[in-house]
Amino acid sequence: MANVLVTHADLPLGRRIVKVLWHDPAVQRVVALGEGPVPRAFGTYRIGASPRLVYERIDLARQRTVADFFKSRRLRSLEVDSAVYVPRHGAAPEGPPLVAKVPARTAEARLLLHHAIESRAIKSLVALGSAFVYKLAPGNANQLTERSELHLDPEVAAEIRSWIDCDMLFQAEVASRRLRVVLLRLPTVVASGGYVYLNPALSGPAGPRVRPLGFDPLCPVIADKDVARAVCAALRSRAAGVFNVSGRELLPLSMLGRWTRRPCLPVPGPLLRAAAAGAARLGRETLHSALDGPHLRYGMSLDTRRASRDLGFEPRYRIGVTRAGDGVMRLEAVAG
Amino acid sequence: MSAEQRAGGNGETPGGELVTAAGAPVLGSDPFADAGGPDPLDAWLDALDQLAARGHAADDGAADGEAPGPGLREEPARTPSEEATATAVEPTPQVGDAELPAEFRRLGRLVGEAPARRLAALVGRLEGYDRFGLSRTALQQAFPLFYALYRLYFRVQSSGHEHLPQGPALLVANHGGLLPFDGAMAVLDVLLNTDPPRLPRAIVDRWAGTLPFVNVFFARVGQVVGTHENLARLLADGEAVLVFPEGVEGIRKPVTQRYRLQRFHVGFIEHALRARAPIVPMAIVGSDDQAPILFDVKPLARLLGLPTAPITPTFPWLGPLGLLPYPVRYRILYGEPIRFHERFAARAAEDPSLVRALAGQVRRSVQGLIDKSR
Repeated sequence: MANVLVTHADLPLGRRIVKVLWHDPAVQRVVALGEGPVPRAFGTYRIGASPRLVYERIDLARQRTVADFFKSRRLRSLEVDSAVYVPRHGAAPEGPPLVAKVPARTAEARLLLHHAIESRAIKSLVALGSAFVYKLAPGNANQLTERSELHLDPEVAAEIRSWIDCDMLFQAEVASRRLRVVLLRLPTVVASGGYVYLNPALSGPAGPRVRPLGFDPLCPVIADKDVARAVCAALRSRAAGVFNVSGRELLPLSMLGRWTRRPCLPVPGPLLRAAAAGAARLGRETLHSALDGPHLRYGMSLDTRRASRDLGFEPRYRIGVTRAGDGVMRLEAVAG
Repeated sequence: MSAEQRAGGNGETPGGELVTAAGAPVLGSDPFADAGGPDPLDAWLDALDQLAARGHAADDGAADGEAPGPGLREEPARTPSEEATATAVEPTPQVGDAELPAEFRRLGRLVGEAPARRLAALVGRLEGYDRFGLSRTALQQAFPLFYALYRLYFRVQSSGHEHLPQGPALLVANHGGLLPFDGAMAVLDVLLNTDPPRLPRAIVDRWAGTLPFVNVFFARVGQVVGTHENLARLLADGEAVLVFPEGVEGIRKPVTQRYRLQRFHVGFIEHALRARAPIVPMAIVGSDDQAPILFDVKPLARLLGLPTAPITPTFPWLGPLGLLPYPVRYRILYGEPIRFHERFAARAAEDPSLVRALAGQVRRSVQGLIDKSR
């Protein structure tokens, strides 16, 4: 890996990955793509006549703009040989539905994969997926390996369906000879300060959430810094395929919500189901997946032995809470 | 006690150090060490201590390593025949004579030093939540209640602990009594009679995982929903796994079938062969008497999506209270380990007829223990 392209670099996970890659001596240049303006955090990285960080503003869900970018002289001159697909997450807008109501996340994954395969220069693609694609059986003890069944039932919420679609798109290319594809299935990602990403129950801004009364599923978590390290490990490795990646901690949903300023209020299950059905009927898919689904009832833990063996990735950061200067309890990730 | 500690047993030290899910500090001291301020339970315990001081003085001379708590008296003297068939409720006193950790002192005063020391030795090895949802905090909280049931309500007598092996093992027992108190008592009995203390992981029906509150409680105290993946992982981790191969059929059998084993599911044999784990047959006598089922209204059970719709002498006549078990005496007997893995290769697990035959052998062994214990 010499020149690495990173999508959604303006979002928190993308920013973190860009920073870690920028500090990696094996990386010559980072090409960061984002929909918004240049993040302020990148200011110090873009100094000089030939900065190691290049930021391009681009709507990754639009076929025309993505095609233009990948065929541009500009990209050829940057000599990108690896790409990192960071999905839309956090407080990013949902984006308008595209052709045949394909969600923005799926459209972006499809476009990036297509152009990465078409481009002869890009040799490796590391994609971030979600562990919420797995089908969860009743109980808290779902030991999920990379071979576990995906949740392909028709009643699955559209948001989770989009994760599954992305997952299957990348999975279809893991045996490709032209492109080395690594798909990292991530559990809930947390960051110091109480931020949380990629959890359908806790997505969006801070504030109260709901969970079914009498259920408190176990959620594996990983620090954003460990996600960036896993991406680096995947870029360095020669392995291709699907890998579960997770931190050491498992937290009940109630505790995770409390630590991330999203307290989960227990509500009787039938009420939640009715509300979720209403949200789905109104097209509020994010709300639908936040109100109902197996991920709110049944816990899981990820078997990460494959990532450890083939990518050499071991989590480094511990997740905990600490009292911040303003007296508020904040989630913290500390190397240890 | 801070709100954080009350809510989930997690909190932070005043200095702002980082505390993990377990309460085990990453960057600081133990947040549980100082509850802060007088606790009403402590005052109550003090009063009980004073009341029971005379009884304690007598016990101190007799007890070998265990001083029963003020609320949990020693059971009355047994007859010689009882002593001959089932003994040793007292835990083996080899956990260590080290001082009880601070967070277990209150528990020690409630249930006695020896059981508290055993629990401390067990949960000292745990951190946070394990991959099956086991929580040290929940174990500590549930222990006094179940210990009271063990000592006072079911007055468990047990024998044959020397047959409990180290390393991975399958404990195979009979099942009965509507509510799974037999599992809880067996787990506690193993915990109290192994050195170092072991917490066998009981396998529960998948249906239990769908029940509100029950699923969380089961997971937090170490019970695991029965899937092949879970069983294989537990044995690979070197755990002792408690299985009830009769499944739901065991708990819903009518009173006319009490202590007659139902058909065994055979999956446990496959796992024992693959994991090279010994099988310890167990008899639990008492469970079938705790809630004798006179009649099972199967159409109603199907309609409600329940495994059983029982009619017992007290249910449904007394409402939910009628489901409570009768205070019968439990007798637990452990048989000699059956080591199929020494006679058969792991690939023998692929032979269905052999697996069925081996399951039948275990079934006969458990039935023999039951007949011997009654």
